Amino acid sequence: MMRCGLRPARLLPWLLAMLSLVLGSMASSQNLSVQPLKIAGTLSSAEWEAYRSRFIEDSGRVVDTANGHISHSEGQGYGLLLALAASDRRSFEQIWSFTFTELLIRDDGLAVWKWDPGAKPKVTDRNNATDGDLLIAYALAKAGEVWQEPRYTAAAQKLARAVGKNTFGRSGRSLILLPGAEGFGAGDRPDGPVVNLSYWVFETFPVMAALAPEYEWNRVWRDGVLLLQQATSGRVRLPADWLSLQNGLQPKPADGFPPEFGYNSLRIPLYLLRAGMTDLEWLRALKQRWSAENEGVAVVNVVTGQIRERLTDQGYALLAAALACALDGTSVPAALRTFEPSLYYPSTLYLLAKSLLGEKYPQCVSSAAP
Amino acid sequence: MRLVGSAITTAILILGFAAIAQQTGPGGSQPPAGTPPAESPSANGSQPQVDESALRYFASQGDTRRVNAEIARLRALYPNWTPPSDLSQLSAGGGSAPPDPIIERLWNLYREDRIAEVRAAIAERQASEPNWKPPEELVTALETVEARRRLVNASDSGQWQTVLSVATESPTLLTCTNVDVLWRVAEAFARTDQPTRTRDVYTYLLTNCANPAERLATLQKALTLLPEQQVSDLLQFERRTGDTPDDFSSIRDEMARRRVERASLDSKMTASAEDLAAVERLIRNTNEAGPVLTLGWYNYHHGNPARALELFKTALDRNGGAKAAEGYAMSLRALERLTDAEAFAYEWRERAPENMKIYLDIATALLSQDPPPRLDAQVVTRIVRVVTAERFPDGAQALGWYSYNTEQIRTARDWFRTALGWKPEDEPSAYGLALSTQRLNERAAFNAVVAQWRNRSERIAALADGTNSGSGRRSAPVRPQVEMSVAPPARADGAVPRQVTVERVEVEQPLARTEEGVRLRQTRARSVLGRSCAMTRNPAGLSGDAALTRGWCLMEINRPMEAVAAFDQAIATGSTRAREEAAYGKSLAYLRKNLTSEAAVAAAEAPQTRSRQVELGASILTQRALAAYRDKRYVETLLALSERARLVPEQNDLLLIRGWSYFNLGRYKDAEQVFRAVQRTGHSEEASVGLNAVREVTDQVSQ
Repeated sequence: MMRCGLRPARLLPWLLAMLSLVLGSMASSQNLSVQPLKIAGTLSSAEWEAYRSRFIEDSGRVVDTANGHISHSEGQGYGLLLALAASDRRSFEQIWSFTFTELLIRDDGLAVWKWDPGAKPKVTDRNNATDGDLLIAYALAKAGEVWQEPRYTAAAQKLARAVGKNTFGRSGRSLILLPGAEGFGAGDRPDGPVVNLSYWVFETFPVMAALAPEYEWNRVWRDGVLLLQQATSGRVRLPADWLSLQNGLQPKPADGFPPEFGYNSLRIPLYLLRAGMTDLEWLRALKQRWSAENEGVAVVNVVTGQIRERLTDQGYALLAAALACALDGTSVPAALRTFEPSLYYPSTLYLLAKSLLGEKYPQCVSSAAP
Repeated sequence: MRLVGSAITTAILILGFAAIAQQTGPGGSQPPAGTPPAESPSANGSQPQVDESALRYFASQGDTRRVNAEIARLRALYPNWTPPSDLSQLSAGGGSAPPDPIIERLWNLYREDRIAEVRAAIAERQASEPNWKPPEELVTALETVEARRRLVNASDSGQWQTVLSVATESPTLLTCTNVDVLWRVAEAFARTDQPTRTRDVYTYLLTNCANPAERLATLQKALTLLPEQQVSDLLQFERRTGDTPDDFSSIRDEMARRRVERASLDSKMTASAEDLAAVERLIRNTNEAGPVLTLGWYNYHHGNPARALELFKTALDRNGGAKAAEGYAMSLRALERLTDAEAFAYEWRERAPENMKIYLDIATALLSQDPPPRLDAQVVTRIVRVVTAERFPDGAQALGWYSYNTEQIRTARDWFRTALGWKPEDEPSAYGLALSTQRLNERAAFNAVVAQWRNRSERIAALADGTNSGSGRRSAPVRPQVEMSVAPPARADGAVPRQVTVERVEVEQPLARTEEGVRLRQTRARSVLGRSCAMTRNPAGLSGDAALTRGWCLMEINRPMEAVAAFDQAIATGSTRAREEAAYGKSLAYLRKNLTSEAAVAAAEAPQTRSRQVELGASILTQRALAAYRDKRYVETLLALSERARLVPEQNDLLLIRGWSYFNLGRYKDAEQVFRAVQRTGHSEEASVGLNAVREVTDQVSQ
């Protein structure tokens, strides 16, 4: 009885969702063609050296300095990618050695995600983090190609297959990327499946599809874009970091996580730009929000729109600048052009953005620019 | 699936090859200089296989200084090691080429275990000089170290398939030098349900490796992983002669102790005389309480409580703790020394839930003797106090009969009522209540009991119909021996309390039921686990079922936080059923520590059956309500209570909490309503205290 009363109110979001489904598939079909990044040679050795000496130990461990000095598969993946960007084969091998011996130990071939130097055993959570796996496999594949190293290519392929086999999930008709092999599916939690849109590292998908063609990477990719469009269709127009897809077409913030556009999600625009998917309408809205005249990069409650924390570190500011550059050709402000490493995460984002700007938007960072 | 199977077969085949490689060794058939010629393959195996790759390299480069440094280092590591005799030949053969400084640096890094840096340096060199190749020995050495690291890491994280696949890919690891690796591979087979392969690895080890300490440790590992018969089979590899004979007698004794322990919990199983003698020997030769307890329980369950009593006394002297005390109290009871039993059990009651339970049982038995014994006022007082605090219905009922049979009918009536309050379906208490109200001529109260019970209890119906003489359960009422000290506690001070003592409510029905379930599992865990879980160890690496068993065992010895870790392991690695069970256990463990939010989170880690959901939910919400009430957060108290009431009916003690919460929030009308409801169910004293308080406040307001 109650349900009857609710029905008219529910009809509107349903319609919107259907609408965005149609629009979404149009938009995504456009975006599925991508110019692959070259990556190698896009970072200056000075910038890389500043990063390497701060965050990478001799053992090849990438240290999350803001997080109890732990390491994780994501950090190792970023480390590999940035070493490649700096054409530093030595460091790449070093980081890979740690990743291979310490993290790539799961029975299913994925990497355990969390490694704590103060714990015994050091692996304190043996679940995987799918974005970490994707980043590692992607960096290995790229490096294998650039340096003609079959060891890297073989490891990349093994990992790509493990990701395809163990982390693809279903939500209604969508094929989704589960954040971990365990604990996020429909059967694993009451509000499952739960996803994290920033785990779709879009630029990796064509590479994965080439490595492990037996899995439907393009579909996961396309459905991820669709999901992003649905999650950003609300009033605040920002996705929560952790989304419950229990209601299929209407993603909502997942239980037990703050309903926030936070440190996770602010990578999404960077990943979109790196994949060349610049024509998503949402990016324009985000560029507005992130501009200096407006609120800037911030952790925002996606329900109320309230700002919980403004993020002023150079690494976050460069995300907004890269967005403005990619959409409007705006030159990157001088203050952001010199790398001043602080903590692991914003410094990583800084170099990822810098590497992209160097390769695809040199005019925004060239000294000749105004 | 087939792939995995074949990989495992390969691993075992490789184990065989490794055995041959081990025996032949890199030095070929020539025995190393300075050591006596090998008498048997085993003596050869007693030499740890030393990694001589760096040494050989330096020798081949003619670098005498480094050769000597490396020899010194290896001697420090392996006192029994002697350098190979063929070094000078090597040096003569390869001396022509000058030493490559980069390769030297690589070996140095390798020796310092800086593997990533070796890899990095090789990559760097290859980047600048694409045709350069590192020495093959170095590559092999690196691969072996990396494989060992991966294997150890995977095994520490319970990734058994990885352990097996790494072992398959790196057969060089599977030698007596790396006994730890062999153990881990053996465990991986056991954890993947291939105990026969586990036995094969141990057999390989016992046939080929000679270090007696490692051989004994191998048997100890087998004890934890293999069925008894297979352990027995391995005992035949004991070496009784030679320089370093084995002594596996501790293993035999442990197996005997386990058999006795199994029989100790089951009166239908008997242990052999040899096994019992072995346990007696263990008792004599050690100072541990464990074997004493085992034999104590064996005697207790096999009709010899007098001997059991002696043994539990010894166990107590050996710091056997709560378990020993439980056995001692139970033996006293079996010997019908109830007065001693009560006094003893009273002292130990707070050590563990089991000790409290045995105290309550003994107190109940003490009161229920026929004819009623003469008891010290002090004894009765403390029984009353504990029965009340624990809300133990059988104890309340026994106090009822004790009072009734000593002609304290009013007191008896109150106790029966109390017992029914704690256990509404308790027919004997209802019968007692009917008898005492009849004796007191309280018609209304009598009729109320009869109305409620006549369809369920023939004897209560008979009482109402007058077909029963109504003389009570016991034949001959005796003189009251302890006047009125038996009365259930009522407020004597007359002051208006604003708070009900929350502690009284703690052990409430759902939780009691929960704890009953815990006890059942704990007992099972004890019999499965065999050995006590009291020794602290990291549960990581246990299989789901083993972790689960350990969790329950730890609950038994009341170490809930360690139990949480064990349950976590079970959740991480167990089957669906084990995970559900473990999530349940974990919530209970948190409940024991009063960590209700953690308990709630744990309960959500695996789907639970409906009844467990209700049970856990109610317990969690009860504790939450009580905690909020203690902290004077009344709104939250009411929220938790209302949420709980949706799961299970609210009993009187919680209703009182609800009443006082309303009262403290100034919602006097609601408070009054609740107190009235409680009053109607018979808890008149506490309810009227509340009602008086409400009246007092509202009168003041209206004046």
